[in-house]
Amino acid sequence: MSANRWQLLGFILLAAVVAAPVLVDSKFILHMVTLIFFYVAMTSAWNIPVFGGKMSLGHAAFFGIGGYTGAILYVKFGVSPWIGLVAGVAMSLLGGVIMTLPLLRLRGPFFTLASIAFAEVLRMIAIDWRSLTNGSVGLNIPFKPGWANLTFQSGLPFYFISLILAAAVVFVSYRLRHSALGFHLRASASNDEAAQALGVDTRRAHFIGLLWSSGLTGLIGVFYVFFIYVVEPNTMFSIPLFSLQPALNGIIGGIGTIWGPVIGAVIMTPLGEYLRFYLGTIQQGLNFVVYGVVLIVTVNFIPGGIVSLLARLKPSKGSNGPGSPSGAKEVR
Amino acid sequence: MELIFQVLVSGLLIGGVYALISVGLNLIFGVVRIINFAHGEVLMLAMYATFWLNKFFGMDPYLSALLVLPAMFFFGVLVQRVIVQPIQEASSNMQIFATVALSLILQNLALIFWKGDFRTIQTSYAMSTLEVMNIIISVPRLVAFLVALVSILSLFSFLKHTFVGKALRAIVEDNTVARLMGIKVERLYLLAFGLGAAFTALGGILLIPFSSVYPTVGVPFTLIAFIVVVLGGLGSMSGTFMAGLFIGVVETFGGTYVSPALKEALYFGIFILVLLVRPQGLFGKGKGTEEIGLK
Repeated sequence: MSANRWQLLGFILLAAVVAAPVLVDSKFILHMVTLIFFYVAMTSAWNIPVFGGKMSLGHAAFFGIGGYTGAILYVKFGVSPWIGLVAGVAMSLLGGVIMTLPLLRLRGPFFTLASIAFAEVLRMIAIDWRSLTNGSVGLNIPFKPGWANLTFQSGLPFYFISLILAAAVVFVSYRLRHSALGFHLRASASNDEAAQALGVDTRRAHFIGLLWSSGLTGLIGVFYVFFIYVVEPNTMFSIPLFSLQPALNGIIGGIGTIWGPVIGAVIMTPLGEYLRFYLGTIQQGLNFVVYGVVLIVTVNFIPGGIVSLLARLKPSKGSNGPGSPSGAKEVR
Repeated sequence: MELIFQVLVSGLLIGGVYALISVGLNLIFGVVRIINFAHGEVLMLAMYATFWLNKFFGMDPYLSALLVLPAMFFFGVLVQRVIVQPIQEASSNMQIFATVALSLILQNLALIFWKGDFRTIQTSYAMSTLEVMNIIISVPRLVAFLVALVSILSLFSFLKHTFVGKALRAIVEDNTVARLMGIKVERLYLLAFGLGAAFTALGGILLIPFSSVYPTVGVPFTLIAFIVVVLGGLGSMSGTFMAGLFIGVVETFGGTYVSPALKEALYFGIFILVLLVRPQGLFGKGKGTEEIGLK
């Protein structure tokens, strides 16, 4: 099959995923597709600092900050979720600043390590600060349907919200990657010293990239809490769920590219849910073993992810294609 | 006043075990140059092995070291050969994914085979204590500290005085030159990983008389070991030792005077502070920090 046909196939598949809930009247499919969009958004947001080679495994921190802010304001103080969205983004940006400033001097594995520690500390605080967060029990969003409360009888509104969210984050990440900031980040990833020698303020670029990423992740967190009606520390700040999962989606699809995270999330979310429901009921934990094996195989055999496999099929056209296959290799 | 000494002593005792585990990590890290996110899982496996040997054969935890340590040495060698070696030249992000995946697999295999229960070994000496100048010292904790101390000292002298030890240090200093001098680097990687795993396993064996084992028991230890290694300076064994004691003391003081739940927040704070003020570590020579991204 030629390259154009692959692209066409990709679009048809994407269109099918988008249209599925409208065509088939099934609550299960609607829920699944909504979840896919949430993960597309989350993975794309996580992926922005990866343009510059900064791989965080603590993005659950921003997700949790956003979610908790929205939920606490709504449940404890009766503040509208729509204001909660703004506040959630502001708080996760603040979290982004607090995490990023000291961590900027760290490269590669130490950045990753410190980001994990950051999310863990927030989880501890969320468990410990009972008066505000209700401890490990968490807070429930009361079921009062209506757009004002961001709570709905049907699943359709959240399907549209998540679709718009996913499209918006992918668009932002596309724009960022092709902006001056994106080039600075990619320059820093391939050779930081050289980029600095050419006058690029790479620290500033990493900082801004991480702020975009943390703000968007916080926004997704607020919506997600109203989607599942509950906020609870061991879910919101869960390393496997909201830190590792976007990273896993990213690497399967192809980190540091635009379409890699999308492809990864579209494939891995249904697979993950399937594994969790079917393997998880047979044997708790088996799904994570499968994840681990998939990761190791990917790292060893297709470090550039699925995007790099697709890119092999087409003649090189520069940056017009769906992300450059070299992305993952350059990222250090 | 007595409480302060009591807390200080408890901190130093547990710090010795932290130092042992971190020395294992530093050895792997210094020689093989890989960030092993599955480090705590080695500890977890060793603790389970000791637990089951005790459960089925009634073997004393300390005695089981004779079986568990060689087994974990080979486990370390296996990990290096099967998981790490194929990605030795890959980018550090890929290496992170591989060891994170390994940790995910091991944790969940433990969950599958042994369930999430907290398991403890009952021994006759678990509760025995000594009293020195009004300070109460738990015997298994004292044993843990002393064994850790002796093991670390023997590792020092091994690295300093034997040919293989010198070769290992040469690799830490300069990998390429070591290779050019005819050192079989790949083979020594296997040795370093095996030794690192064995030291960590010993930490697990020393812990089990006074702590329980469960599938995610290793997670905080991975974090602690990294903080200790960074604090002590990459590649500096004596620095690691001092930093281990330091973190042990900080932990017990924080747990006593602040809040046991916020211990991790305390480590993280120290971690960040050190990275800001002295990224080469408190005792480190700063060697290799450039390459691994600590500058």
